[in-house]
Amino acid sequence: MGLKPATNPDVEPAPIELQIDGKAVTAKDGVSLYDVIAGTGKIIPAMCYHYTFDPFGSCGMCLVTQEGKKAPVRSCTAKAASGMIIRTEGDDLFQARKKAVEKHLSVHPLDCPVCDADGHCELQDMAFQHGVTNLAAAKQKLIPEDTRSLALDFNMNRCIACGECINICKDVQMIDALQFMKKGGFTQVVAKGDTPLVCEFCGDCLAVCPVGAITNKFSKYLYKPWQLRKTTTTCNYCGDGCQMSVETKDTEVVRVTSLLSWKNKWGERSDTAKGHGGLCVRGRFGFQFIDSGERLKQPLVRQNGQLTPMPWLETVDAAAERLAAVKAKYGPQAIAGLITARCTNEDLYVFQKLMRAAIGTTHVDSSARYGHLNFVRAVRRSLGVGRMLNDSEEITKAKAILVIGSNITETNPIAGLRVKEAIRVYKAQVIVADSAVTNIGKLASHPLLIKPGTEGLFIQALLKAALEEDVIDAEAVGKHPAAFAALKQALAGVSLEALAGATGVTSAQIREAATLFAEAPRSVVMCGDGVVRRSGGYQQVLALVDLLWITGKLGRPGCGLNTVVEEANEQGAVDMGVAPEFLPGQANYEDDQALARFAKAWNVTLPTGRGATLMEILKRCRSGKIKALYLVGENPLATLPRSCDVQAALEQLDLLICQDPFMTETAKLAHVVLPACTFAEKDGTMTSQDGKVQRVRETMDSLGESLPDWHILAAIGSRLGCAMDYESAQDIQREIMTLLPGYYNLGQPKKIAASPDAYYWGDGYAGEVRTRYSSLIARRSPPADHSFTLTLGQLLYHSGKLSTRASGLMTIAPNSGRLRMSPADMERMGLTDGSRVRLTSSAGAVELGVQSDQALLSLACFFPEHFNEPPVKDLIPVETDPVTGVPAFKQTAVSIEKV
Amino acid sequence: MSVGAWTKKMLEAALFDEIWDAMKVTFKHMFHKPITFQYPREQRIIPDAHRGALGLLRYDDGKERCVGCDLCEAACPSRCIKVVSAEDKSLPLQRYASEFYIDITKCVFCGYCVEACPVNALAMTKMYEYSTHDKRTLLFDKPRLYQIGEHHLADAKKYLYAHNQEKNDDMFHDYRYFFPQSVVQSTQPPPKHLTS
Repeated sequence: MGLKPATNPDVEPAPIELQIDGKAVTAKDGVSLYDVIAGTGKIIPAMCYHYTFDPFGSCGMCLVTQEGKKAPVRSCTAKAASGMIIRTEGDDLFQARKKAVEKHLSVHPLDCPVCDADGHCELQDMAFQHGVTNLAAAKQKLIPEDTRSLALDFNMNRCIACGECINICKDVQMIDALQFMKKGGFTQVVAKGDTPLVCEFCGDCLAVCPVGAITNKFSKYLYKPWQLRKTTTTCNYCGDGCQMSVETKDTEVVRVTSLLSWKNKWGERSDTAKGHGGLCVRGRFGFQFIDSGERLKQPLVRQNGQLTPMPWLETVDAAAERLAAVKAKYGPQAIAGLITARCTNEDLYVFQKLMRAAIGTTHVDSSARYGHLNFVRAVRRSLGVGRMLNDSEEITKAKAILVIGSNITETNPIAGLRVKEAIRVYKAQVIVADSAVTNIGKLASHPLLIKPGTEGLFIQALLKAALEEDVIDAEAVGKHPAAFAALKQALAGVSLEALAGATGVTSAQIREAATLFAEAPRSVVMCGDGVVRRSGGYQQVLALVDLLWITGKLGRPGCGLNTVVEEANEQGAVDMGVAPEFLPGQANYEDDQALARFAKAWNVTLPTGRGATLMEILKRCRSGKIKALYLVGENPLATLPRSCDVQAALEQLDLLICQDPFMTETAKLAHVVLPACTFAEKDGTMTSQDGKVQRVRETMDSLGESLPDWHILAAIGSRLGCAMDYESAQDIQREIMTLLPGYYNLGQPKKIAASPDAYYWGDGYAGEVRTRYSSLIARRSPPADHSFTLTLGQLLYHSGKLSTRASGLMTIAPNSGRLRMSPADMERMGLTDGSRVRLTSSAGAVELGVQSDQALLSLACFFPEHFNEPPVKDLIPVETDPVTGVPAFKQTAVSIEKV
Repeated sequence: MSVGAWTKKMLEAALFDEIWDAMKVTFKHMFHKPITFQYPREQRIIPDAHRGALGLLRYDDGKERCVGCDLCEAACPSRCIKVVSAEDKSLPLQRYASEFYIDITKCVFCGYCVEACPVNALAMTKMYEYSTHDKRTLLFDKPRLYQIGEHHLADAKKYLYAHNQEKNDDMFHDYRYFFPQSVVQSTQPPPKHLTS
């Protein structure tokens, strides 16, 4: 690495002093001179420089004079040194910079009026600033536009060869998809090998391009920057909580831009201080669902078997009356509610208040139940905290990172960037344990390919290896000798070799990984859906806690256990108490004191007892105990396998209310359909996986008659006689603030510390740990004829079912309807791309095409969970966690035969 | 009042002096050309630089000049122009206005939009008669603007010459810009590994 701040967080770089324009400035050693000058607030033009990557030095704009040197120097590539005397202004520098602009303009077409970057173009700004009016020897490149890529157009006539796109792709994203190529007499940016660009489509190249050489295909020619209303809001796709700017014209979303751009290289860079401020493909190109034509625009009520449009007032009356009727006839516990974790905190809060205070039921759950609650419940139980332990900076500066069961660069690309930065800048050792060849695995120092579904065994093997290698932290285990003895005994039954054999890696590799993890001064664990969304996920998270405990990482600064979540506000859903076990603030629902506090605050008597979780609610619907179901943004019919019999459960209901922006499969069965807004049309906050509570802002007027979720919920609540007279999301925030002081942390969560003592002192630990490790190896006995493991997982280009409504993402990654298999298996079975196979599991069979996927191991097959066509999800039996009630339906053993 | 003044006044009254005074003006007008026009039977001759209704122009080959660059919209001080631009899929790089509206009721006839236009697609004409019973028709859309441009092409061109924007017919090619450079053929053949 070149001119970047120190790559070792343990050692502070030495301070140096230099003079800039007659003022003494102190800076850190080893930093680019440009950064030092920018830090003083001075703006020197620079078209090829961006602070996220190493200086490139091609534009010749950042010239300054250094005393003792005849010619001006490029400040970006110059290293700041002690005693430098620098001048940044002056007519000679102005003329030199003007020459550089003229040089760039002489081969740049003057097609500004039709260029998408017009008004947001650094070259244009520079030409104005330097008064370039006359170009003596201008020539045109006349290069045809490269429109081969699915998301980006490359117009190399406009390129000034600054290399920002190439550098950010290589240095920050570590994808390296672009290169310079001499073609037609000009240096051009092309995709590697001059092929159509196929990459992660994060669009950071688009963001940093100072001219209009790279343009967005989905909003090409539709706008001029000054016509758009730009609102910074929080992305709705995954739990990373990226800030993005939604740019709208009336009720049309034209484009989404990141805070990262060529513009943010000056000033304090506070908006991109944590992370680089970029977006992933979903955030940047997946905005079309917001103003999609498929959006529900009117409330619908079922009359004579038909969903017919109704005015809002009558619909709310109908919904409330029917809810009241069910409550009067069968009691409040015959009503249940499910909400999606893509709603804002305010929506979630009002929803649980509606269910608990207005209706009086305890059955309320959210989509955090699909996995994140495994993590939250486990860390609550063992460490007494309710979210992941480290912030992004700690992950970046970790020395050892264990990424387990998480294709982090695909599921949470921006969190993945933190791991990439740790590898690149801080030289972290990264252990990636995954059942597929992942991008993060390719970059990691210790990629371990484990067999599908053996994440739990792998953790157990790590524990075993840590014990055998004796890399135990004596102080940590010395505090709880009884617990350590119990753990040792629990692990005694099985040998490391057996575990290694079951996971498919060698015991030497496991020993090395365990040693490395234990001996690093700052070790963090990132676990993803491969851990929390699988059966036994709760126990696996606890096993990871055990690993951190015996290696002495618990409570040590910079170490901790982390997760990545799939939906934007899963953490917020748990924090807002949208789970039968929690009240807002993750207070235990069965804690009478907490219950009394909320009952007093809401001025009602709250129902007592533990309510039903998601799967239990559906079961009770089927058995007729629950007569009314209120779904907000949830679509269990399309999410859960057919074996759950969701259809039968929903058909049994007296009343099904669906509140959704779209007409989902479930909404088609509903008695009342309420059109809700998407995140882009409402105010509120969302809590990212690492606890940052960030604003969601209204970027445009709501489409049609749709309303924000909290608005609809409050209307029904008020109609049911509960005081919910909120006029805006701020009113709800005010109420949450009084109940949960300090929850709104403005994106700067308080540090949380693990307190494992109670757990390891507790009596329950010995018994718990015995079953935790004994059951693991025994459970792996798939039926003999089902030799393949089918995994349903996320794609980089999609998130849940929501992204399938975004035409941009569907263009990039349409549903191929094909099963992905490893090339070796396909060859062995005589299959080629497109040949059809029959996929059989214990739950049924499906016939579909296949395609090869280099990332997969032999005997593994993969289907994206976002698509239900063909219905591969129905093949998977559901296993519900006995403790947390989390349904696991992403992996099963199958057999594949050619048809 | 003195005797002289009284006598003069009486004399003037007896000879109807004021009437003769007034008739002097009337008779004078009998002998010179009338200033008023018999509008609408007679039309006024309007100078070339006159700022009348706006029209959209085409190139001589019938191609739309407008490239949908939205600069007229940006220049308009009364915010009466709305351009919706899009990409012409059949022509590489071609941007055009898929919709174009001018709310002529809001227009202040400043001519800034014409000045802003990089391709001289907009011009002002000598047309000023568009009174109507239906105010909605005063929102000129793209077909209407092209219709105005066609009917008043000569006037529109004269306007552009008068405002020094388009030189003259001989220097037809001296528009400020030609957009876009639509390049179909590359300057160099594709690399070998891509041509099998």
